[in-house]
Amino acid sequence: MDVEVQIPEGLLNKIVNAGIKMYPKEYGGFLIGFYSEDFKILHITETILPSEYRNSKYSFERSAKGIKGELKRLYSLNPKQYYVGEWHTHPDNSTQFSMTDLNAMIEITEYKTVGISNPTLMILSINKSGLNDFEFYVYNDKKLLRYE
Amino acid sequence: MAINKKEYLQEVLETHKMSHVNSLLDKYRDKRKSIKEALEDYYTDKIYSPLNSGSYAKHTAINTKFDLDVVVPFKKKSFSTLEEMFDDVFDFLNDTYGTEATVRKQKVSIGIIFYKDDDNHEISIDIVPGRELNEDQYNEDNKLNLYVNSKYGLLAEKTHLLTNIKAQIEHIKSKDNERKIIRLLKIWKSSNNEDYKSFLMELITVKAFDKDNISGNLWEMLESTMEYIRDNITKDGFTLSDPGNSGNNVADTLESWQKENLSTKMKNMLDRIEDNSDNLKIYFPVNPDFKEEDNTKSNEGYGVKTGASTFSVPTQNQRFG
Repeated sequence: MDVEVQIPEGLLNKIVNAGIKMYPKEYGGFLIGFYSEDFKILHITETILPSEYRNSKYSFERSAKGIKGELKRLYSLNPKQYYVGEWHTHPDNSTQFSMTDLNAMIEITEYKTVGISNPTLMILSINKSGLNDFEFYVYNDKKLLRYE
Repeated sequence: MAINKKEYLQEVLETHKMSHVNSLLDKYRDKRKSIKEALEDYYTDKIYSPLNSGSYAKHTAINTKFDLDVVVPFKKKSFSTLEEMFDDVFDFLNDTYGTEATVRKQKVSIGIIFYKDDDNHEISIDIVPGRELNEDQYNEDNKLNLYVNSKYGLLAEKTHLLTNIKAQIEHIKSKDNERKIIRLLKIWKSSNNEDYKSFLMELITVKAFDKDNISGNLWEMLESTMEYIRDNITKDGFTLSDPGNSGNNVADTLESWQKENLSTKMKNMLDRIEDNSDNLKIYFPVNPDFKEEDNTKSNEGYGVKTGASTFSVPTQNQRFG
């Protein structure tokens, strides 16, 4: 795929801080943004944090309970902003996705109320005081492609 | 016929993406993982968690020439000298991998080049040992002293180099346009057998963007960066600060005649491309191995399901690992 991902530094810091607060457990949320007119560039503009979740050092399960209203509000903005993917942390671990992550993205893409076919997965490797590294993966045809 | 320089360079970048060599990368990752585990098992509480670094971590790698780097942060009291640390890591790696790889001391790292496998793949991993500058502070300040094994620019052998690998990665990671230009300059370097250090090309590109407010399309950004190098690298007092240690002037890794050469090469390239845009193909070739594949996929952007809109409500509950 010939695509780009752009995220403002302020939003990246917001995501990192949310993840560090939950250290040493994993944490995550929804990515909001919009595609450029030619669908080549993803502009990530916001994150929604889940109201309900379960987490441990090696797993994170989020609920989408209560986000539909916020998604509708974001879609009424100009430009329209919408759900574009997910992020979660890997405390003291690499940014490599797991099979659980890949299966999650397959399920999300195939879900009936998801209109986009290439959602993005962002994985952040963190430690107790900061960010080690982060990666974006773009889902395509049952694979997660590392964004270059 | 003149080529469209912007579109051509986009194709060059596409054909050099690491995603074209995923199966090879998997082998690299497996080797890197086993080396990291071996180091952690052997050095236990003498080290902090090894850290991935290098061009792959910085997203500036190209698929024609790459290796994976691992930084091993040692605790302050682990060894009394940096040389002892460097030699001990070399001995351990040589004892562990010496029968399946060439293990060699390099400037600040130890290179492990595994013998070719059945697919004719040669996996190369660089291990960079470093010792924390301040006792028990590595997790806070990320500062490491590296051992300089052999002459490194103006740095003599058997000396040390203070750096901050995490700061180096952060410095480039979120700079999308700069990374494209860095990858193009690395493609030039690799395909024309130029010996300039990638780190230097990274720093000078980032500095060009900062100082000259570079913008425009891919060709315009590359052209402006090359002009910046041409006009500045030979200037007295021109510095390239290592983001991991502002005291390191990476421009000093070049002798003055090498700076002259680099400036001249940039001038010649710019002149020849100005004369005939087809000359761009000489300096920045596509990777022919992935040209055909690229032609079928280059227009593929993000997709929306047939009959759907971009509005999406994701799955109610979802588990990640």
